Parts: sequence; C-alpha cells; structure tokens
Amino acid sequence: MHAISKIIAAHADRKGVEVGEIVNVVPDYVMLNDRGAARAADLLRQMGGDKVFAPWQIVVVFDHHYPPIRQQDSVSQKKTREWIKEQGITKFHAGEGIGHVIFPEKGYAFPGALIFGTDSHTVTNSALGCVATGMGHSDVASYLALGYNWLRVPEVIRFDLHGQFRPDVYAKDVALRIAQLYGEDAAPYLGVEFAGPVVAKMQMSERLVLCNMVIDFGAKTGYIQPDEITARYVAERSSSRAWTPYTTDSDSDYGRIVDLDVSEIEPLVAVPHDLSDVRGASTLSDVRIDEAVFGTCTGGRIEDFRVAAAIMKGRKLAPHTRMMVNPGSREVYLQAMREGLIDIMMQAGAQVGITGCGPCSGCHQGMLAPAENSITNASRNFRGRFGSPLANIYVASSATVAASAIAGRIVSPAEVAPH
Amino acid sequence: MHIKGRAWTFGRNINTDLIYPKMWFRPTYEPGEMASHLMVGIDEDFPTKVRRGDVIVGGQNFGCGSSREEAAASMMEAGIGAVIAPSFGRLFTRNCINVGLPVVVSPGIDERVGEGDEIEIDLAKGFIRNLRSGYEARLPPMAPESLRLIQDGGIANYTRRVLEERRKAAAPGSGR
Repeated sequence: MHAISKIIAAHADRKGVEVGEIVNVVPDYVMLNDRGAARAADLLRQMGGDKVFAPWQIVVVFDHHYPPIRQQDSVSQKKTREWIKEQGITKFHAGEGIGHVIFPEKGYAFPGALIFGTDSHTVTNSALGCVATGMGHSDVASYLALGYNWLRVPEVIRFDLHGQFRPDVYAKDVALRIAQLYGEDAAPYLGVEFAGPVVAKMQMSERLVLCNMVIDFGAKTGYIQPDEITARYVAERSSSRAWTPYTTDSDSDYGRIVDLDVSEIEPLVAVPHDLSDVRGASTLSDVRIDEAVFGTCTGGRIEDFRVAAAIMKGRKLAPHTRMMVNPGSREVYLQAMREGLIDIMMQAGAQVGITGCGPCSGCHQGMLAPAENSITNASRNFRGRFGSPLANIYVASSATVAASAIAGRIVSPAEVAPH
Repeated sequence: MHIKGRAWTFGRNINTDLIYPKMWFRPTYEPGEMASHLMVGIDEDFPTKVRRGDVIVGGQNFGCGSSREEAAASMMEAGIGAVIAPSFGRLFTRNCINVGLPVVVSPGIDERVGEGDEIEIDLAKGFIRNLRSGYEARLPPMAPESLRLIQDGGIANYTRRVLEERRKAAAPGSGR
C-alpha cells in the first residue's frame, strides 16, 4: 500500500483500502476560509443541520476577502463570527495570513494527517507528508453535519527529481517543467509524490511550492515522504505534536514513476492563458511588464522574500512597472521586516499590501486593465484571474518575477542580478 | 438515469474561473442567480441561450482549477441534464456528484459531438449516443456510491437523511 492509502485507511478506521475504493473518512482538520465558512454554514442550515459535529476539527481563516472592501463580505463575515461562537469553534484566524501558508506554520498540517479545505490549494499542506485536499461547499457542509465525508483512494504517480539545479532555478520552475511536459492534466484525480535526491535536500518552503502546484496538474493531493527536514519543521512549530509515520511498501504501489533531471531546467515562464504553455524566461524579452504580483499561497513565504530582495536590493522598478506585494502571513511579514526585506522592496518602488491572497483571483488591490501584462509567482495564469479577462498573466518563480519587475520586461534573473 | 438533450460544446482545460467567474460570487444566492452567470467567462450570452435539459460537452480536463461549487451548482440550477467530457477536474467532478448533476466521462466525446447535436445518455445501462450522427459508445462504469449520490439528488439529501436517522436513534423511546 502507498502511504497515502494508509493515511486514508487510518482515517476511515480501516486496516487497508484499495485504490479506487470510496470510503468515509474523518479528517484531523478542516479549513474554512471566509467564503467557505459563510457558504458552508448556509448550506448546513439548508441540510437541516443545526450543529457542527466536531467543532474542534474546524479552523476558520479569513484570507480571501479580509479586510472586506465590499459590504456583502463584511456582512457575511459578521455572520460567520457569530456562527463560530454559537458552534464553539475556537480556531479562528483573521488577518493572520493565507490558510495554506498558516496551516503548516501553526502546526495544523503534520505528517500522517488528513486535511480538508474549502479551497483547491489545500493540497499545499501535503508537502509535510499528509493527505490534503480541497472540497466544495456542500461537501464541507455535509462533513460539518455528519463528521465525515467520502474520499476515493487515489492512484499515485511519483516524480523522482535528480540532478543539480542551475543557478536561479527553483521548485517553481520544476513545477512549470512538469506542466510543460505532461500538461494541465498530468495527474487527474491522482496523488502526486515528489521524491529523489533533489527533494531530499529541498527545504520545506520549496517542497510547499511543489505540492501547491499539484492541483494545477489535476491532482487530489501531493505527498513527500516525511524525513529529517519534515521532523525539524514540525518540531519547531508544534513541539507537542505527536504524529504517526506512514511509509509506502514498494514501487509496485505506484501507477507510474517518472524520472526528471532538474539539470535540464532553466528559469521558466507559463504564458497566457495556459499553464502548460511554458517557455524559457530568456526567450520572452519582448514582453513588457505592467505589474508584478508577488505573494499568494504559492510564493508568499519568507524564502520568496529573501530571493526577491537579493535581486531588488539597490535597484528600482522599471518606470512603467508597478509591483504588488502581499506577504503570505503575518509571520512572514514580520520576519521580512526584521530582515529589512520589506525595506528593500519598498525602496525599489513596490507596494506592500496586507497579508492575504492579493490580486490573485481578484481578492485584493492590484487589478489589471485590458491588454496589460502581469508576471506573478502565484500558480495560475487563467484568463481574468487578476482583473480584466483581456489582461495577460505570466507565471514564474519569485526570482524571475522580481528580476522582471526591475527590468520592466520578462527576463531571466541573471540578466538583472548577475552572479 | 436517462438523459436526452441538445449539446453545447466547449474546449480543453476549461477552468472553473471561466465557468463561473469570481465577480459573481456571493455569500448567499437568490434562486436562479447562479444560473444567470453560467459560462459567462466564455460566452456572456450563454445564460439566455441555454435551455433546461440541454447538455454540456467539454474537452479534456473540463472544470479544472478552483474549487468553486458554483461551477457545478449553476449548471444544476440552469437545468443542465448532464456534463460530458473525456476527463474532468477532480473538484468539479466531486461538486457535480454532490449537487446531483450527472458528470459523464466519455473518452473522445469532444471529437464526436457538434454544437446543437441531440445527445442521449443512459447511466444505468452505460451508453451515450449522438442521435444526429448515430455515434454510440459504452460509458466507463461510474462508482456505485457516486451514481447513488447523483440519483438521490446530491449530498444535501443524503445528509438530511442521515441526520434524520440520527435524530430518530437518539429520541427517547427509540429503544437505544
């Protein structure tokens, strides 16, 4: 059995499960974001449920529309705050950051866990060696009422990453390379595991980027076998957390194993409006950048700020280029201030906004006008994702985004900050 | 379950941002509100053109991306009889099942259906037919649990029933 199957079995109170089987599972934690909480509470009532079955499993995070700028959101958030109190839900985070950034930070994600969330990027958490997956609102409302929900046991595909990274190449470029080679449906309904010597050396922030991107290959969850790096990360954040290690029995537990040599990868960019349409950053130098969008659940961690600030230090944004920066969490924001990274980015001309999703999916400030071009370290270049459906979104690594904001056009990081 | 309807065709990798754009998100919806924004990311006039009983035929990876349930719920509300594609985004599939909308996997179907074709599907017998061209194919079997949820009218009805059973079991005099 694969570790993912074992985790699902453990949460279904079963000894074993078969790939393809549908089982009822009880998760460890369920994240409701602002919209998810409002919709699920409403649907729970419509389903005839007056009580949340297991309030201690619920974590409510206001990140998409907090602080609200539309009255409909302030009204619904007020209702949600009242609902949380009524239901005895005590884990509540408003303004502390994006759910998928704070879940690992605060120890809600841990190895062997089963996590649901009302957002597709819930998969991010699976970098810690857990099963983490997004759900719809009726889905979560049913879980709120009953305390369980159904899950199909996925087949697992493993990407073995080996070789040496070239300079300025990051986990994000690996994810874009996978999209380029295997498409936006590289892993429909599947579990996606990352393994191999490159992953063994990878810090947690980079693992989180890999697993964050699996939803945009169609996956149900990511997975990285917990190791020393995982154990240290969890111990630093929630020292009292006990967790069960699950391991995969053999290579025959995979539907497919794919070898990927990262030495071949250069700084990459997904061009509008298809994540699998990927080019070398150095081949796109004629693309003018109007706005760089920096942050989100993909690229809003402290390591992203360190990479960007190293490139932006002592430099200015191109005169025609603006940059929206939204730290992924309060912890990231504070740390970036302590390290002087926010200083560097603001001096370069960036606008630093609140913690949260930023312009991604049109949540916070920084909407694009028709025909404008944006480069972002977020995950999606879907049409209309940052405002106008007639704008263009290019997806790249934090380094490529920072460098392109300085150059005012798409460049490879070395063109701005030579080694 | 037997479905017959006129087809609307869409391409590959149609994400849920296009099926139900974020600007139409609301904390609660009036009846008919979601249906009035169905597919407007691709075709602004779609909500006025689509009729109850029509079916949607997409390309590979239809409904990928964001978890938004509105993508499936707006189709259900517009009276879409079924959504058919060679493959679907996982969350979209799940949301369709949970709202009770038949989500039908049929390899190569996007090559076999043109806009306006009359499509017939029988989920129990497991076939799909294009009544205009005569094309017919077997459907890959659907998980019985999923089919049951769709036939029951979605996860809301299932949840209501389980809650009711729990209440009865907990009531005094129930013998437990």
